[in-house]
Amino acid sequence: MKSASILSSAFLQSAGQALPVALLTLRFDKASALADLVLPTRKTENWKYSARHLKLTDDMANALPLISANAANNPVGSSVNTTANNADYTVVLVNGVVQPLASNYPTLEGLSIQRFSDLNEDDAVLAAALLDKSISDQPAKSGSVNLSQLNGARFEDGLLIQLKPGTVLEQPLFVIHHTTASHSGSAYPCILVAAGSNSQLTLVEDYVSSGDCSVMVNTATEFSIADGANVTSVRLNTEGQNVQHMGTTGVRQQRSSRFQSHSVGFGGTLRRHDLHVRLEGEGAECKLNGVVVTRGSQHYDNHTTIEHVAANCNSQETYRNIAADKSHAVFNGRIHIHQDAQKSNANMSNKNLLLTSGAEIDTKPELEIYADDVLCAHGATIGQLDKQSIFYLVSRGLSPHDAKVLLTMAFINELVDQIPIEQVRTTANIGLNQFFDQAFKEV
Amino acid sequence: MLSIKNLHASVEDKQILNGINLEIAAGEVHAIMGPNGSGKSTLSQVLAGNEAFEVTEGEVTLNGDNLLNLATEQRAREGVFLAFQYPVEIPGVSNLQFLRTAVNAMRKHHGSDDMNAAEFMKLAKEVSKQVDLDPAFLKRGVNEGFSGGEKKRNEIMQALLLQPRLAILDETDSGLDIDALKVVADGVNALRAPDRAIIMITHYQRLLDHIVPDYVHVLSEGKIIKSGGPELALELEAKGYGWLGINDAAVNH
Repeated sequence: MKSASILSSAFLQSAGQALPVALLTLRFDKASALADLVLPTRKTENWKYSARHLKLTDDMANALPLISANAANNPVGSSVNTTANNADYTVVLVNGVVQPLASNYPTLEGLSIQRFSDLNEDDAVLAAALLDKSISDQPAKSGSVNLSQLNGARFEDGLLIQLKPGTVLEQPLFVIHHTTASHSGSAYPCILVAAGSNSQLTLVEDYVSSGDCSVMVNTATEFSIADGANVTSVRLNTEGQNVQHMGTTGVRQQRSSRFQSHSVGFGGTLRRHDLHVRLEGEGAECKLNGVVVTRGSQHYDNHTTIEHVAANCNSQETYRNIAADKSHAVFNGRIHIHQDAQKSNANMSNKNLLLTSGAEIDTKPELEIYADDVLCAHGATIGQLDKQSIFYLVSRGLSPHDAKVLLTMAFINELVDQIPIEQVRTTANIGLNQFFDQAFKEV
Repeated sequence: MLSIKNLHASVEDKQILNGINLEIAAGEVHAIMGPNGSGKSTLSQVLAGNEAFEVTEGEVTLNGDNLLNLATEQRAREGVFLAFQYPVEIPGVSNLQFLRTAVNAMRKHHGSDDMNAAEFMKLAKEVSKQVDLDPAFLKRGVNEGFSGGEKKRNEIMQALLLQPRLAILDETDSGLDIDALKVVADGVNALRAPDRAIIMITHYQRLLDHIVPDYVHVLSEGKIIKSGGPELALELEAKGYGWLGINDAAVNH
């Protein structure tokens, strides 16, 4: 069995930041539990395709430099392009540690954005409970560690975002996760959101990196969404090829709440995102969109789970994978309709485009239905660019290269267009166009 | 302008064109008629440069240059335009974006600067009116959900935008009702110019009521078996292809 010091007691080192007791206790418990676990292998069901791409060396167990939170300037932020340049609400984390002076979030009645070290006892208990739920929702299988367990054991800092009932934040809140890789190591950013009833929030998580040493970024994001609240999560990933990104997002939705997720990523050598939505209150709705593009030897694995726990909930999931060169994309979409979740309406679509014969895509829709009066549909397709379409475009003077880029973008335009923030759409469109420009050059 | 000599072509090892000879001068409109399977569409695809078709013999020159040596996109930039019999639907690419990319590819080839979005929008709106297409179509996916007639009008709109030197219209009249036929024909007539040649491929004579060609050719089994003036089309209309010894069950007026 493979074991690595990434799981060893070295993780019990004290947090670099002064964490409140409730969070320290959680961290200690999660770290202690790691001792009995191993990293996933290819025999671990939900790591079947990805375990061999997971390359965690001992030196990656080191914490990355915990940049002093009180530094006058974000020492690296200026060298990285983020989508948030003009945003009103921005929080910057460097290697998982909040940078108050690089952040900017005007006060708003009913909105509280706090870093972990600033939490009072009650808030710390709330934060610990949210993170604990996120971890326990994804139990470890066959003795192997799940991703959020690592985060729970290693987080150094994090954000607790709370919206009181009825609070509406009109502007998007940008959270910039910046990983600086001046030596090998790992970072564990953690974002916890508690959205009160009928509140509204759009959270953009922008993952960027600088430096070129091998690093792992292990993220945990948890949304607790109360009755009638409306939360949108946008996840943009443009990290460098030295980054292995492993993210977990947990969502719990109460009565008549709405949740939308838009994820677009083209960075990193290994990316894994586990998205777990629980529809716990009647009339809750979620919409999950994902754009996955890989080239070179990139590996991208999306595992989503939607649990219809309560009756009369709607879920709509649309993921598109595009793989070029010798890259590999994996999609595993699970819909679980619990026994009491009558009148559930669940729809999942996964379409895939292989750009070369060396690329690989594995897709697995899973439906598990225990209620008898539900409407469920799922579909997965896989294909290549249509030759007749290429000919049509080229016969109008477009180069074959431009025609292919245009057709490939066409495969995902619909999803990019649904991202509700213009500057993120623009960043995504530019990044994706450059990505395919390169992908077709190398063919 | 266009010179086709002894052109042979095959698709998937099936020989379709068996020695076509055709000379077309600038300013002329040539109609190519013939029954199904005679090679009309193959000729248009070969001229436009569809790589699925293989030229096995013969030569084609456009203004003295060897056309067959040029890649598909180079032919387009040199002014070859094919209006497709079955225009392809491309959801996700807006008509406007596609057309602007095409026009700018053409402009770049001829050393002009890109047309900006506003300039292009103005031009595209004018041209769409010319073929009676609602400018709202510009924002839709390329041919996505267009009716047969709308697709054909979109093809003619592209020709008007790209201003080709040689326009090949492959069964542009098929699938059109009489009103749409009139609109398409008006568009084609607007394309007629002293420096432009037009090849109209058609199965029926009715398009030629609206666009009077200078020459009519009859294609059968991959060869031109008869050429004449516009009166040849009328004669075909009256007598059917059987008159030329062609067996074509598809033609019965």
